[in-house]
Amino acid sequence: MAEAVESPGDPGTASPRPLMRDLKAVGKKFMHVLYPRKSNTLLRDWDLWGPLILCVTLALMLQRGSADSEKDGGPQFAEVFVIVWFGAVTITLNSKLLGGNISFFQSLCVLGYCILPLTVAMLICRLVLLAEPGPVNFMVRLFVVIVMFAWSIVASTAFLADSQPPNRKALAVYPVFLFYFVISWMILTFTPQ
Amino acid sequence: MLQQDSNDDTEDVSLFDAEEETTNRPKKSKIRHPVASFFHLFFRVSAIIVYLLCELLSSSFIACMVTIILLLSCDFWAVKNVTGRLMVGLRWWNHIDEDGKSHWVFESRKASPQENKTVSEAESRIFWLGLIACPVLWVIFAFSALFSFRVKWLAVVIMGVVLQGANLYGYIRCKVGSRKNFTSMATSYLGKQFLRQNTGEDQTS
Repeated sequence: MAEAVESPGDPGTASPRPLMRDLKAVGKKFMHVLYPRKSNTLLRDWDLWGPLILCVTLALMLQRGSADSEKDGGPQFAEVFVIVWFGAVTITLNSKLLGGNISFFQSLCVLGYCILPLTVAMLICRLVLLAEPGPVNFMVRLFVVIVMFAWSIVASTAFLADSQPPNRKALAVYPVFLFYFVISWMILTFTPQ
Repeated sequence: MLQQDSNDDTEDVSLFDAEEETTNRPKKSKIRHPVASFFHLFFRVSAIIVYLLCELLSSSFIACMVTIILLLSCDFWAVKNVTGRLMVGLRWWNHIDEDGKSHWVFESRKASPQENKTVSEAESRIFWLGLIACPVLWVIFAFSALFSFRVKWLAVVIMGVVLQGANLYGYIRCKVGSRKNFTSMATSYLGKQFLRQNTGEDQTS
């Protein structure tokens, strides 16, 4: 999955692909999501490690702790996984069918990395939920989730909208909106028991 | 212990080679990258073991799931970026050019006259054995999870199938690309494997 530009040469050479190089590439992409500007990094050197890390983190945070160890958050964990990956694949197929010139994995990469603001929102919500429940608590969480949702949308459309023909941009962006909306909804309605 | 087994295999292979093969390729039965060989098998086999023994190892479904996901990811990275290159001299990746078109590149190392650059027979066997056996097992697990309605495991099992299947597909295409004739390659490879297994068993028994 990690796909930086390979240096041409004998594939049998002993110098191993440094792990650090891949980790740095992932970190760089996180930065690009946080400060979205027109650049090709997310698109050209795609990798799916970031989305995997974010998905697992989000799924872990979205579990409800329960006293019964038999149903200890298992279904919710798998649910988040399925929603994120199935949703991302569906959006990618949709944009390809609309005639976009972005490749399958590039689109998955962008959508996955742009979950980062929502993961941060989840973290903040969990911290806020440690305080006493009430309308103020809810308003704070609502505000945070809305801001991060908007951030995700802006970041992903900055990368994805260019790949669509001009008259189809709204059609391609609308499922992205829905996708992040569903995730934001899951985050907002989360209550630990 | 895994090292021990593979060393035993190399003993058998070298005897076998001396008797049967008349190619002019020098005997390549040493394992030149023991660490890579170990990790190639370690991550895959651990993921399968954790999946099978999850009920016994830990009462938490989440811990097992996260562990398996971690092992599968490490395995994918290791096999794609390190062990394929070191053990069999193949590599594959995706390249996006200036126009934004994506190309999949499959490369194999050309046979070089240098001693230390040719592929070791034992390593090649370990590599392909691990590469083929594990995705097949994950597919079997997928069907068993589906039919026994343990649907909560389906996400992890599908992930196992996809990640390990991707590596399998990538390396087979590398191999095929270097031979250009898939059918003859497949039949000759399978034929050789069966022959070796049968005569190998005769030797050890």
